[in-house]
Amino acid sequence: MVLVLALGDLHIPHRAPDLPPKFKSMLVPGKIQHIICTGNLCIKEVHDYLKSLCPDMHVTRGEYDEDSRYLETKTLTIGQFKLGVCHGHQVIPWGDLDSLAMLQRQLDVDILVTGHTHQFKAYKHEGGVVINPGSATGAYSSITYDVNPSFVLMDIDGLRVVVYVYELIDGEVKVDKIDFKKTATTNSAH
Amino acid sequence: MVKKRVPDWLNSSLWSASPSATEDDRLQRYDSKPSTPTPPSPVAPPVPEPPPAVVQEEPPKPEPKESVNNVHDASSDDSAEDISRQAQLLAELSKKVINVRELRRLASQGIPDGAGIRSTVWKLLLGYLPTDRGHWSSELAKKRSQYKHFKEELLMNPSEITRRLGKSTSPDDEPKSEGSGMLSRSEITHGEHPLSLGKTSIWNQFFQDTEIIEQIDRDVKRTHPDMNFFSGDTPSAKTNQDALRNILIVFAKLNPGIRYVQGMNEILAPLFYVFKNDPDEENAASAEADTFFCFVELLSGFRDHFCQQLDNSVVGIRSTITRLSQLLKEHDGELWRHLEITTKVNPQFYAFRWITLLLTQEFNFADSLHIWDTLLSDPEGPQETLLRICCAMLILVRRRLLAGDFTSNLKLLQNYPSTNISHLLYVANKLRAQSTG
Repeated sequence: MVLVLALGDLHIPHRAPDLPPKFKSMLVPGKIQHIICTGNLCIKEVHDYLKSLCPDMHVTRGEYDEDSRYLETKTLTIGQFKLGVCHGHQVIPWGDLDSLAMLQRQLDVDILVTGHTHQFKAYKHEGGVVINPGSATGAYSSITYDVNPSFVLMDIDGLRVVVYVYELIDGEVKVDKIDFKKTATTNSAH
Repeated sequence: MVKKRVPDWLNSSLWSASPSATEDDRLQRYDSKPSTPTPPSPVAPPVPEPPPAVVQEEPPKPEPKESVNNVHDASSDDSAEDISRQAQLLAELSKKVINVRELRRLASQGIPDGAGIRSTVWKLLLGYLPTDRGHWSSELAKKRSQYKHFKEELLMNPSEITRRLGKSTSPDDEPKSEGSGMLSRSEITHGEHPLSLGKTSIWNQFFQDTEIIEQIDRDVKRTHPDMNFFSGDTPSAKTNQDALRNILIVFAKLNPGIRYVQGMNEILAPLFYVFKNDPDEENAASAEADTFFCFVELLSGFRDHFCQQLDNSVVGIRSTITRLSQLLKEHDGELWRHLEITTKVNPQFYAFRWITLLLTQEFNFADSLHIWDTLLSDPEGPQETLLRICCAMLILVRRRLLAGDFTSNLKLLQNYPSTNISHLLYVANKLRAQSTG
């Protein structure tokens, strides 16, 4: 039972001052084993705050991140799953699921976590699953102003993943979940 | 206040039991003294000043099963009464309906190690096994399955719990094999998600329990580091540790009032050791379940010592320590005065560990098993017996205590010297006769 937090596109301090208080009250250290951050934090203070929630943190570079040492893409293995992270502004058209699928096949991962569109998405194709946790602060994106703050918590347990989607809608936290299994024979398509 | 003389029997040379030939064998019997239980028979050859003869006993590393042979062919001065007691115990145990009073009487003199009956006797003494032999198998089956049920219920992590709940409500899990498309979102049940802060949330409870589980884990790893049975890299040691851990976790979850307190692992260890080393294979395999129930039973008399809020109450540890102090005052006023008033050795400094851990830390493992024989079998109950034994411990080293100051006395009592256990138990027994007189 491994809990992995996926979030990104906070745009602190340029577009948002902080995470919504209701999210912040839920995010306490000690519960989460890994953090995956798609990018655009943008400053060191946010990095340090997330690091305090969990020491194992993986960040990729968004176009507004002030730390230029973040990588463009990252892959890691958690349990039986291979995860890939990329901010997504590099993949054109932005948010296009076929292009993201191509990136996923390139990285050869089961789950690809990307951001940039500030819209939550969970999409399945033959190569695997693409998850976009949206923007954790609800910051406006290049595409739209109408953004609900959201992030994702994945519970990886053997071959099964339960994805809990946390969204702030009209000031209330709404939680949904998505279940999917990796069949033992499913590999990223070659 | 009438000055109480030190009773004659305390001054007898019964003090100095002769050292027994114990060097070569493990799990040596303690009672190879030449003198018989009837006092005072000055049989002992001249021995050095107290402390009484030291019986060197290494912690028992191999199973007692192995040492059965050792014990029998080594010390030929295993008194005949020992063998007869073993025969009597076996006879009692093989009856159809066991007379517990008789069993108590026999067991309080000590259960011979070689016979492999300690496990059964303890289970009877703690009321785990019914007295009617015929009911044993059904009772055991019932209790063991109950424990299994506890484990399943309480040791599951929230992921598994939600998965099981999910399975029962929505049996469809095949649409995932479809080609591609947006993954469908589903409602969560009862607001259950991992970051939930609700009091009733299984996730929240799980994270709160993690602290206790970590504590239990640490203590289990530290239990008896010198014994291969409990510590080491062997797979059997690991399974034993897992068993201890499971028992303590189940106990903590079933008893939210008292949860886990450091020291419970020490009380658990001898029980588990004895039950796991039962010569009967089936019993040894179910040692974990049996130990759980016997642990609950044993702890029930001493629970209040572990509850911090009860420390100052009538049932708490402080009051028990006071009772010990009173007992000492009654039987040996001079020593009491010297200890508490002259040298100001507050009994809390040494008796706390003696009482809460039931003397498991004061003697080596084999000796504490023998002490527990008496503790569990005495009809007066373990609490009273424990106090008497503690009092006897003090009286046995009285000469050193009377001669010492605060530092040396405290040092002595916190590292109690090894001693002839049967003698200790004998003295403790005498204290009972005196206080009722």
